[in-house]
Amino acid sequence: MKVRFWGVRGSIPVPGRTTSRYGGNTSCVEIRPRGAPPIIIDAGTGLRRLGKALMEEAFGDGRGEASILISHTHWDHVQGLPFFSPLYRAGNRIRIFARHRDTHLEAVFSQQHGAPYFPVPLSAMEAEMSFHALTEGARFALGGATIASTRLNHPWTALAYRVDVDRAAVVYCSDTAPFTDLLLGREFMVCAPSLDRPLPPDVVAELARMRASVVALAAGADLLIYDTQFTREEYRLRPHWGHSHPDDALAIARDAGVRRLCLFHHAPMRSDDDNDAILARYRGIAAAAGDRFEVLSAYEGLELALGDA
Amino acid sequence: MKIRFWGVRGSIPAPGPETIRYGGNTSCVSVHTRSGGLVIIDMGTGLMHLGDELLAGPFGAGAGSATILLSHAHWDHIQGLGFFGPVFVPGNSFAVWGPGGSSEVLEEILEGQMDPNFSPLQTLKNFSARFDVQAMRLGVPLTAEGLTITAREHPHGATTALAFRITERGEPGEPGEASRTFVYASDVGQPTAGGPDPDAVAFYRGADVLLHDATYLPADQATRRNRGFSSYEDAAAAAVAAGVGRLVTFHYDQDYSDDDVDELVAGCRRALDGRGGAAIGLVPAREGDELEI
Repeated sequence: MKVRFWGVRGSIPVPGRTTSRYGGNTSCVEIRPRGAPPIIIDAGTGLRRLGKALMEEAFGDGRGEASILISHTHWDHVQGLPFFSPLYRAGNRIRIFARHRDTHLEAVFSQQHGAPYFPVPLSAMEAEMSFHALTEGARFALGGATIASTRLNHPWTALAYRVDVDRAAVVYCSDTAPFTDLLLGREFMVCAPSLDRPLPPDVVAELARMRASVVALAAGADLLIYDTQFTREEYRLRPHWGHSHPDDALAIARDAGVRRLCLFHHAPMRSDDDNDAILARYRGIAAAAGDRFEVLSAYEGLELALGDA
Repeated sequence: MKIRFWGVRGSIPAPGPETIRYGGNTSCVSVHTRSGGLVIIDMGTGLMHLGDELLAGPFGAGAGSATILLSHAHWDHIQGLGFFGPVFVPGNSFAVWGPGGSSEVLEEILEGQMDPNFSPLQTLKNFSARFDVQAMRLGVPLTAEGLTITAREHPHGATTALAFRITERGEPGEPGEASRTFVYASDVGQPTAGGPDPDAVAFYRGADVLLHDATYLPADQATRRNRGFSSYEDAAAAAVAAGVGRLVTFHYDQDYSDDDVDELVAGCRRALDGRGGAAIGLVPAREGDELEI
């Protein structure tokens, strides 16, 4: 399979001079199994460019098929969908998978597409669209690929996905806080909670279970893509935002025995030079720790061939 | 007054090396008045960067206030709101004026963006600053920040958007004592024939600066007329008909590279000259640029 990054940024797109090397588009990763339709993870603004590229293939003739796995429906993971050109061509088939919500998924996405926010309602899309609600931990087949999922530690929760195909595995783990300090759910926290207060035992146990599931999901993966929006110091100021840092990502990668770790979901204010420095620092830390995995940092246009490519 | 461009792009932010010169952030313009007032027009992604700068001043200490004018609620005009730092500082206060006909409807529209399915903020009520949302009344002048502001509704595809005319009165006796007028007209759907709408021209009449939708090159607009955007030809025609001092091109298509926008601006200059508007200054909106009126 081939894995290509179309959007690597978290929270909000950040155009500009200081982000042009890593890219300012929000989260979108394309997985292309050999000779099979694309499996896309997340629909941030990077999806717009991916859609244009796909229109050069079967999608331009209305013969395209794609599956989109949504980690969660926060804006930076869905805001590219209305600008995904294949939706505007009859004959294309687009399947959208996301964790179930209180309302039907189609209703959630219709809210994004309709008046007064967007001129073209979802019901007017020419392509055939279907919506598939997932439970946490869902496993299913997509063509020759096997998809597995598990819950992450993020406000209103998010799903991590593992895609196994062509004798290789890629795991996408974004967005999530570390599994050590607080359990994020539906509660809104105005201020950062204290990280020094001991947690109730049931919360500790729940977080430990969640971390073990993430490690199990990533076990032996060829590529682990991980939310490293923060540095460790930034995380301590905003643990309630539900994002992690490279120290935590390295620990997960180590425990899961992955072959490559890719830092992802870069903070909007992070410049290209900042990202270079973070990558160099954590390559050094991984080398000093004797880690056997390679550390990468995601940038727009990065393409990796895994397994039978 | 001083105009500053924070986001000049239409529809969706367009990051990339090819949009660095004009900028890829969606619509946001600030107007600083001579007496220290602040008006913000539209809340695209440019708003985040305006917010970061404001936090270095009184807004960082919870002592800031501003008026926000919203043309319409399409994503590219509201998507910066959740990332506008000053709304998270207690003590700051914002008066938001926009479309919707009633304050309840407008507030509900802005709430929809913060829905917990889409935003970790969950609701506007989680802002720490005061954030009062009110519907703009068409034809009724609003006095805010020492300015007189009127709104006009224009067609925008299947919906409408508001244009704003903002006037700052001159000080008696000082040089340039005459009042100064800035018009913001983005996302303007033009009638298919017959030139600019006479009501629009009357609304723009004599403005020192007209900021006008110039999303498209004419050839692109011809195939996408139902989207409700102007070409540079439409912008130039409106500027000449209204006898404005300067024209600002704005809301460039997300697929246009900097070179494409250069072409658009050159075309607009030719269009102004060809229509007898050689005396009209042309200012292409570029992220970070300032314009003194």
